[in-house]
Amino acid sequence: MTMATRLAEAPVQASAERSGLLWRVWTSRADYLYVLPALVVMLIVIAYPIYYTVELSFYNTPPSLQLRDKNFIGFDNYTLILSSEVFWQVTLNTFIWTIVSTLTAYVLGLGCALALHRDFAGRGVLRAILIIPWVISAVAASYIWKWIYHSNFGVIGAVLVELGLASRPPNFIDSVNTVLPSLIVVNVWREFPFAMIMLAAGLQTVPDQLLRAARVDGASAWQRFWHVTFPHIRGVSIATILLLAVANFNSFIVPWIMTGGGPSNASHIWITHIYELAFGRQRWGIAAAYSVILFLIVMTLGYFYVRALSGDEKERGS
Amino acid sequence: VTPAAAPGRRAPFDLWRWAGRAFLTLMLLFTALPMIWMLLTSIKSGFAALQFPPQWWPNEPTLASYKKLLDPTNSVGKDFLRFFWNSLFVATMSTILSVIVAVPAAYAFSRFEFPGRKFLFFAVLLRNMFPAVIFLVPLFILMRLLGLMNTHGSLVLTYLTFGLPLAIWLLKGFYDNIPYQLEQAARIDGATRFQAFLLIVMPLSTPGIIATAIYSFIGAWNEYIFAYTFINRNDQLTLPIGIQRFFSEHSSDFPGLMAASFMMSVPVVVLFLLLQRHFVRALTEGAVKH
Repeated sequence: MTMATRLAEAPVQASAERSGLLWRVWTSRADYLYVLPALVVMLIVIAYPIYYTVELSFYNTPPSLQLRDKNFIGFDNYTLILSSEVFWQVTLNTFIWTIVSTLTAYVLGLGCALALHRDFAGRGVLRAILIIPWVISAVAASYIWKWIYHSNFGVIGAVLVELGLASRPPNFIDSVNTVLPSLIVVNVWREFPFAMIMLAAGLQTVPDQLLRAARVDGASAWQRFWHVTFPHIRGVSIATILLLAVANFNSFIVPWIMTGGGPSNASHIWITHIYELAFGRQRWGIAAAYSVILFLIVMTLGYFYVRALSGDEKERGS
Repeated sequence: VTPAAAPGRRAPFDLWRWAGRAFLTLMLLFTALPMIWMLLTSIKSGFAALQFPPQWWPNEPTLASYKKLLDPTNSVGKDFLRFFWNSLFVATMSTILSVIVAVPAAYAFSRFEFPGRKFLFFAVLLRNMFPAVIFLVPLFILMRLLGLMNTHGSLVLTYLTFGLPLAIWLLKGFYDNIPYQLEQAARIDGATRFQAFLLIVMPLSTPGIIATAIYSFIGAWNEYIFAYTFINRNDQLTLPIGIQRFFSEHSSDFPGLMAASFMMSVPVVVLFLLLQRHFVRALTEGAVKH
C-alpha cells in the first residue's frame, strides 16, 4: 500500500461516523497543539523529501543539480536499475547482510540476556561492558575493526600466524569472498547489546511462580525456556528483530568506512550503493528511483512492524 | 531465588549455569578484546604500531598521540578540539530541542482521544522505517534552499526530526504508566489541564525524559551520513567526519586514529554508564510492557 492511500484512508477509519468528525476535531482542537510542533518538523524534513524523491525518480537529471534542466523520462530509471546486474548483486548482499546480522545479533543477545538474568557478583559490570559497543560511534567501531583486520599489521592475522594456523596474515576485507562475513562480524559486535537490553527487559515480565511450578512438575531447562519463558518474550522478540532488521537494511557507516563497497561491489549494500550513485556519480534521478524501490521493499516490512506494534497496543487496551 | 527445596535436582541445572558462564566469557572477550587492542595501539608510537609480529604489549608506552590531539597549539590538536566542540554543540542543541518537542507530543498521544490520534502516532513511528538515504538528496536541496548548508543548524534540524519517533514512543510508554487519577485530582483542585501536565506529570516522568535525552544525545553525537553530506567546511565538521578526514590524510597513523576513536567514545560511554538505569527502564516501559 502506498503512502498516498494510507493518508487518504486513515482519517476515514478513525471516525466511525463521518458526521461527527468535524465536530470532534473542533472540540479537541486544543489537543492538537501538543502534537503540532512534532508534526510541523516532521512535515518539513520528512514528507517533503519523500514527495521530492518520488518526483525526481521519473526524471533524467543533470549532474549539477540545476534541477530546472531535468527531463521527464517516465519509468526509464526503474527499468535501467532492474535490468542491471549490479542491482541484483547488491540486493543479494543486502539480504545476506540483513538476515545474518539480525539473527546472529538476536541469538547472541538472547544468550547474554538469559545468562545475565540470574544475579551473581559482577553482573552489573559485565552487563555495562557488553553494552559499550552499542554506545560508541559506528565510525570509531569501523576504524577499530579496520585496524584489527589490517592485511599486514592486523592483530587477528598476527594471532593466526603466531598459532601456526596461517603462513601469512589472511585478507579479511580486501578479498571478495571474506569481506561480507567480516563486515557482518563488526555489525553484530555493534548490535547484539541492543537485543540484549530489550530481551533482558522482556525477561523481567516472566513470572517466577510459573518457572518454579514448571520445575516442580519436572520440566527440563529447555522445556521451561520453551513453554514458559519464550511465550512471555515473544512480543519483545518480534519488536527487537524488526527494529534490527530495519536498522540493518538501512546500514551505511560500517561498509562505507571499512570498504566503501569494495572490492568489486562485494560489500556494497543498498544504501552505500545509492549514496555512491547520488553523491559519487551524481546520477540523482537513478539514485532517487533506487530509493523508491528500496522504500517499497522496506514498507512491506514496515507493514509487519506496525502490525506487531498495534497488536501490542490492543493488548494494552488503549 | 535459591532453590533450597530440591537439592537433588541441581545436577542438570548446573550444566546450564556453566554453559551460561562459558558463553558470557566468550562474549566478554568478543566485546572487550577489540576495545583493549584500540587502547594498546593508542599508546604505541607510530613506528611500534607498524611491526609484524605486533608488540602484544607496547615496549615503550607513550601518551604522545593523546597529547598531540589535545594540544591546541598544533594544527592536529586545534582541529580535533574544534570538532569535539562542534559535536558537543550539535548534540546538546538537538537533545534540548527534541525533549521540548517530544514531551508534549508523547503526552497527547498517551492521554487525549482526538480524531486521528492512532494514525498520527503510527505515522510518527513509520518514520523509523525510512532509510536515511531517501532523505539525503531532497534534504541536501532543501538545506541549500534554506541557506543552511555548512551550518550546524542543518544538522540540529535533521537530528531533531530523526530522533523524534523513538523519543515520542519511549515517553508515551512512560506517560501510559502514570495514573490518570493524579491529574484528575489536580483538576478537581482547580488546576488547568496544562498546569496538571506541567506540575504533576512532568516531574514524575523525569526518568523518561532523561532516557530520551540520552538517546538523542548519543544519536546526534555518533551521526555520520548527514554530517558527511551537509558539512564541507573544515571548521564546521563534527567528530566522526573530522576523524575520517584526518585518517584519509594520515593513513598510517594508527595510534593517532585509535586515540581519536577512544576520545570520541568517552563522552557517550560515560554518559550512558551513568544513566543507563533510566535508559533501560524507559526501553522496558516503552517496548516491553503488555
